Amino acid sequence: MGSRMDEPGASLGGVTLLCSWSCSEFDLKEIRLIVYQDCERRGRQVLFDSKAVRKMEESAAQRTEDVLIKMPVKCCQARHSSSSSSSDSTPSPHSSVGSLHGKEQLPKYQYTRPASDVNMLGEMMFGSVAMSYKGSTLKIHYIRSPPQLMISKVFSAKMGSFCGSTNNLQDSFEYINQDPNLGKLSSNQNSLGPCRAGSNLAHSTPVDMPSRGQNEDRDSGIARSASLSSLLITPFPSPSSSSSSSSSYQRRWLRSQTTSLENGIVPRWSTEETFSLADETCSSNPAIVRRKKIAISIIFSLSEKEEAQKNFQDFFFSHFPLLESHMNRLKSAIEKAMISCRKIAESSHRVQFYISHLMEALGEFRGTIWNLYSVPRITEPVWLTMMSSTLEKTQLCQRFLKEFTLLIEQINKNQFFAALLTAVLTYHLAWVPTVMPVDHPPIKAFSEKRTSHSVNMLAKTHPYNPLWAQLGDLYGAIGSPVRLTRTVVIGKHKDLVQRILYVLTYFLRCSELQENHLTWAGKLWEGEEVLNGSKMTTALEKGEVEDSEYVVVTVRNEPALVPPGLPSQTGDRNAGPPEGLATADLFSRVSTEANKGAGKKEQDSEASGKASLEEATSGASWEDQEPSPMVEEGQKGASGDDPPTAPSLERSATSEAWAAGLKTVQQAPSEELKMEMDKKPPDRSSGWPCPDRRSQESPYLEKVTFQIGSSVSPESDLESRARDMEEKLKAFRNPPELARSLLDQTRETAELAQHQQFSQVPFRSGIRRNVCCPQILTSEEHKSLSGQGFVEGSDIRINAIEAVEQVSLSAEPAASLDKGAGIGKQRTLEEERGLCLKTVKGQSLEPVQNRCVQQDSGLVVAADVPCGDADGKTAFRVEGDIPRNESSDSALGDSDDEVGAPGNLDPNGDRDEDALEVELPLPRSQIISNQNVKNFGRSLLGGYCPMYMPDLVLHGTSNDEKLKQCLLADLVHAVHHPVLDEPIAEAICIIADTDKWSVQVATSQRKVMDNMKLGQEVLVSSQVSSLLQSILQLYKLRLPADFCIMHLEDRLQEMYLKSKMLSEYLRGHTRVHVKELGVVLGIESNDLPLLTAIASTHSPYVAQILL
Amino acid sequence: MNAIVALCHFCELHGPRTLFCTEVLHSPLPQGAGNGDSPGQGEQAEEEEGGIQMSSRIRSHSPAEGASAESNSPGPKKSDMCEGCRSLAAGHPGYISHDKETSIKYVSHQHPNHPQLFSIVRQACVRSLSCEVCPGREGPIFFGDEQHGFVFSHTFFIKDSLARGFQRWYSIIAIMMDRIYLINSWPFLLEKIRGIIDELQGKALKVFEAEQYGCPQRAQRMNTAFTPFLHQRNGNAARSLTSLTSDENLWACLHTSFAWLLKACGSRLTEKLLEGAPTEDTLVQMEKLADLEEESEGWDNSEGEEEERTLSVPEVTDGRELAKCPTTPSLLSDCGSWLPRKLSIFKSLRHMRQVLGASSFRMLAWHVLMGNQVIWKGQDMDLVQSAFDVLRTMLPVGCVRIIPYSNQYEEAYRCNFLGLSPHVQIPSYIQTSEFAVIVEVHPATCSSVYPVACDEDQSLSKYEFVVTSGGPIATDRVGPTILNKIEAALTNQNLSVDVVDQCLVCLKEEWMNKVKVLFKFTKVDSRPKEDTQKLLSILGAAEEDNVKLLKFWMTGLSKTYKSHLMSTVRSPTSSESRN
Repeated sequence: MGSRMDEPGASLGGVTLLCSWSCSEFDLKEIRLIVYQDCERRGRQVLFDSKAVRKMEESAAQRTEDVLIKMPVKCCQARHSSSSSSSDSTPSPHSSVGSLHGKEQLPKYQYTRPASDVNMLGEMMFGSVAMSYKGSTLKIHYIRSPPQLMISKVFSAKMGSFCGSTNNLQDSFEYINQDPNLGKLSSNQNSLGPCRAGSNLAHSTPVDMPSRGQNEDRDSGIARSASLSSLLITPFPSPSSSSSSSSSYQRRWLRSQTTSLENGIVPRWSTEETFSLADETCSSNPAIVRRKKIAISIIFSLSEKEEAQKNFQDFFFSHFPLLESHMNRLKSAIEKAMISCRKIAESSHRVQFYISHLMEALGEFRGTIWNLYSVPRITEPVWLTMMSSTLEKTQLCQRFLKEFTLLIEQINKNQFFAALLTAVLTYHLAWVPTVMPVDHPPIKAFSEKRTSHSVNMLAKTHPYNPLWAQLGDLYGAIGSPVRLTRTVVIGKHKDLVQRILYVLTYFLRCSELQENHLTWAGKLWEGEEVLNGSKMTTALEKGEVEDSEYVVVTVRNEPALVPPGLPSQTGDRNAGPPEGLATADLFSRVSTEANKGAGKKEQDSEASGKASLEEATSGASWEDQEPSPMVEEGQKGASGDDPPTAPSLERSATSEAWAAGLKTVQQAPSEELKMEMDKKPPDRSSGWPCPDRRSQESPYLEKVTFQIGSSVSPESDLESRARDMEEKLKAFRNPPELARSLLDQTRETAELAQHQQFSQVPFRSGIRRNVCCPQILTSEEHKSLSGQGFVEGSDIRINAIEAVEQVSLSAEPAASLDKGAGIGKQRTLEEERGLCLKTVKGQSLEPVQNRCVQQDSGLVVAADVPCGDADGKTAFRVEGDIPRNESSDSALGDSDDEVGAPGNLDPNGDRDEDALEVELPLPRSQIISNQNVKNFGRSLLGGYCPMYMPDLVLHGTSNDEKLKQCLLADLVHAVHHPVLDEPIAEAICIIADTDKWSVQVATSQRKVMDNMKLGQEVLVSSQVSSLLQSILQLYKLRLPADFCIMHLEDRLQEMYLKSKMLSEYLRGHTRVHVKELGVVLGIESNDLPLLTAIASTHSPYVAQILL
Repeated sequence: MNAIVALCHFCELHGPRTLFCTEVLHSPLPQGAGNGDSPGQGEQAEEEEGGIQMSSRIRSHSPAEGASAESNSPGPKKSDMCEGCRSLAAGHPGYISHDKETSIKYVSHQHPNHPQLFSIVRQACVRSLSCEVCPGREGPIFFGDEQHGFVFSHTFFIKDSLARGFQRWYSIIAIMMDRIYLINSWPFLLEKIRGIIDELQGKALKVFEAEQYGCPQRAQRMNTAFTPFLHQRNGNAARSLTSLTSDENLWACLHTSFAWLLKACGSRLTEKLLEGAPTEDTLVQMEKLADLEEESEGWDNSEGEEEERTLSVPEVTDGRELAKCPTTPSLLSDCGSWLPRKLSIFKSLRHMRQVLGASSFRMLAWHVLMGNQVIWKGQDMDLVQSAFDVLRTMLPVGCVRIIPYSNQYEEAYRCNFLGLSPHVQIPSYIQTSEFAVIVEVHPATCSSVYPVACDEDQSLSKYEFVVTSGGPIATDRVGPTILNKIEAALTNQNLSVDVVDQCLVCLKEEWMNKVKVLFKFTKVDSRPKEDTQKLLSILGAAEEDNVKLLKFWMTGLSKTYKSHLMSTVRSPTSSESRN
């Protein structure tokens, strides 16, 4: 490779390898295997417990097994020939009975008494689910002490008529115990003998199952629901056509639909998983099937050290699909061992055979898990790093391009590199969606790639499993038919292999995952520090009007009894309303609560009152709930003159308005607004046009729709946004009135001017908090709450004011009025909202403000009220007619009544439909995102490993010895037990050998032709070659690295476009006449596999034509 | 999160019961395709139809009961329902929360209304509380299968001074079909559900202690040891969780908590997924659209746009949109101002090539590709328009400047496609220029001039076309590569029109990518000529005609791209220091 190759090695950050998990914490022997059987007739029996197996020392012939247990890693390498997959076709000395007898002379293992916990574990494995259920069940238990994680699978056994020996395993085990060769085991009979399900229950640790009879099971619907799959198959609605072009979108949408619970369970691909005890060579006789279940458990002992335990748990839960896949493999090995050991006549041999096979399979399992846990990973996969870090992008590009061009220049002997890249691009197809041109870019967009908006939206509205999506991307399993691909680079030159791996991580693409912690109610999981018994929270708040951010510091006490989601309902409440009451009411009852200390410890109520205050004032999370007081006030204002039913309507209206307000400020293009205003004349005269609506609404104060939600990206729902817009515009039909009312306000309430200042920036959470807080204060005033609450409140008010000043958005009231009068620009809107807010705040003092609120409320009214049948206009007109000068007293009085006697709310009242749920607000959320998640993208891109690894999407290793042994079995296993949780058509492995300069593609579908060849040689695509050459030349011409990469992406996009053309061509042809395409587009026959594969991601029919 | 969260209780009288259950309702179509309301209504309607047992019972009671239900009188008890097995009072409609941003609704009832889900939840509840064994009885466990869904369950005790053993057994379960996600969420769910449980237990403990203080049950029970326990139990078994925690709003709390849990768990992991950059054509179209919007802002209303449209295409009467432009017609639907609405006369390039004849077409296409002015002179405006529509597909969108029909000659800098009425005098310097091509459309003098065309198209049979240029193209010249490829595509009848369209897209993008490199090289970095020559040969465009073509096409680059290159890429760090 020359000196140039060696020199950058050290500086090559991306190639440095790192153990993702510290392996020292992980003890292989701590993986335990238990096989259990539950038979209708015989009860439960332990069929195997690795803890009970002791290896015999004396025999020299056991060296291999010795290694097997102690160092499974090496063992796997050395002894892989006895691969235990059921589908393994490679000859293995142990799997044939013939070879067995030679070795069986000396027993290698001793089976001793199973550990004492085995009965309890059996209980956990089986539980008491009815025997009749046929499928397999997956379980995970966490055992606290000693800390262990247990993963179990329970299968129904598929029995067959036995060939050969009629002995079953149980007999064998019973035999072991008397076997003199095995030493003094006779005393163990009990431990292996049948232990009835119930019999040991009493003294097995606290497993105190409620002793329900068998009726319970039948009663429970377990047996009944087994036939559920026959019910209701709801066809999926297809996603909106605009985005359906993107295959990644499509995949994710489909995933969200198939795993949806909304319309009942959608039967997915059937996993007819049984535990086969039948020899395939004998036909099984279904008539004599006995009911029997086999459970396999793997128990991981966890470290007592918290950190180590957490690390392993991270690994365990995040890599579960892989673990499960290996467990399935283990299961196959056990099946096989059980079946074949029956053929052995002699009991001691049979047992030895059985145990050694199981131990071997377990050893392999342990080794694989250990490898997976400890394998070196590429710390900076190029694509993922480029996607996530914007800071060093240029350097990253330079580093990558340097390596890339180096490889093009130096190792393209025999077109090696071009072949490798061809194969990678052909099979790891996830790059295709990343070059598919979008046709709806935002206009100001810059021509680079960006995150897919449609997919983002989908994730929000129809959450799917991003882990699954990422795994599919990595394995390239996005085409049709679905192929699962891995790539192995083999070579003695570690440095070279690492370089290749590094470069390939640019083309092996997947989405990047990030972890989000949603917080609410000011409760933060991060950035919290305890300060003199109270918590101080610092949060960067995103300004919602501008892009600026500012720091909000919240000081609050330790959350006393604040269950998640219940900030307003803190503490015990004695005089609460019936359950039907909504948070809207609860909120205002916070004050009530403080008074109602009777029958409670005083401090309790006080604390809770305080806590809720705190909650109310701390943090954006309150924004949803916040409208409620305002709503309340609105009601007070209105109730004086209006029919008693009106308030609730207004309530909902107001809160709607809130949402609208937010959206407006953020999104409304002012021009549109203006246009709308011009068009629509003021509409103030209409009265109560829809009494039905009113009555329908009235009983439910709770029927408030809070739409503020977590508006991290507010333009989420285009449709509803548009709708909001429309409603809001309707509301603007009478700006003059609005202005007047605003004027009134300012005149009448001098003291309010002070508030105005900050209320003009109502959409910052800091201020919102503020708005909220005085509200509470006022209600508390009425309740003559203890001084404490006051203090709290005012503190916060001050905070908020400061915050506003910080933002320096204070506009003069007068100015805002002018604007409010009808310029209709965004700013106006915003300020108007501000006034309204202020209004709300000062509610109790100033009646006119009520009107304002109501006015505002009209904007979006009922856009999302659950019953949804009344429209916004109605509500608007309603408030248009509300008399202006009401006495605030009466309003307050009413409101008090409301609070005190919520019982007068009739839940069913006159409503048309009675099953309308009570609406509760969702706490507003705040997201803290964490980029560095240990996801598949980071863990399955391996580095230079000591040996071949079956799981990794990409890795390098020094020789292909083990690979040759395992590959086919691995591929077949991958198809049979897809980690992807969906059917796989073919498993592929790309093998690039830098010693032989060959690139081969091995597949699960074809048998190995000869020993030398693992798969088929790869055709070098001329498209890829020319791409490589031109990148190299451009680089040599000293075009900057990031431009070269842009060009690289452009060229990849060309390939995509050519595949589009090919798929179009194939609509009319069943064969490709390469010449025709060659003349036009320079497509050659060696490009066809690549282009067809690309086409299969967007046009599934292509595969059908060509395959 | 595609899950159901439920609170379950092991009732001493009735066994495992589902107490409270929060479901997630998504809008049926992604991206809020339906508006927020109608799907909700749909759901509700559906729920009502599908309502079984519980729900129907609720409904049958509700009209009659009215206020009484609200005044805290418990609904009529069914024999299989005691206080302990009930959450929401009879007649209570349940809770709902809207997540406006995502159009997701969270709905809580005692049971799911959907019969299948009812059974799924019921089964999970039974398994959680009476089948599966959790060491210590309190704690997390996962179980499930493909048929019944997968369940994360956390069992726990609630103190009750009147209950047997002074505690009652509950569980909170989360049911999903996606086991990978559910298992992955284990640590998260454990933490959050544990939090909820702690709250509940804390509340109950307080109540318990208060009750014990007032009336120590243990002692009492000791004293009344002779009383059959069962008897006593019957009296007290039916305590609702609300009373055990002394929290009237418990269910509302739980609803919010569960909804929050579902939301937080669903958005716990998000993906960042990149998509490809828009093609140059798309970018340019977007830019044109934006310009258009900017202009039309001056107009009062949408009428303005309308007017402008009519200005630029005055005689358009037919409302039909032409979607001939191969790239992203969806985008173009609004750029209609310069799109004709007339049924096309020339159906495709291939058609035009047949009509004009191969050599005339080649000359015409050559000029088009090179950016020379293409003048069509003829009586039939639609025909001219149609010709331009077909011809423009050879060029990147940014290179197309059309004046569809004019009564006077317009200079080449204003347009490269110019339609003229027959009597307009074309200046002589244009007529003789090698940078212009003129197609004259004459009424056919003899009907047999273009027999091929006549067969296919009656409307064209009455014309004959004369293609002339000041500098006729030497037949021996190779011409721009792209022209030859286009001709090859047009000649090959095996390639359908759609395939040809797709070919054009490919070819244009391929050459635009070369243009980008050249632009970067010459305009941004201002590299010396020798280097440029090298670059051109790398790009496979060293021939004179290709270079000319690239230079012309460079004018069609989007502003977005150019400004990006000018600003971002030309950062000091990017170009130097490579050794």
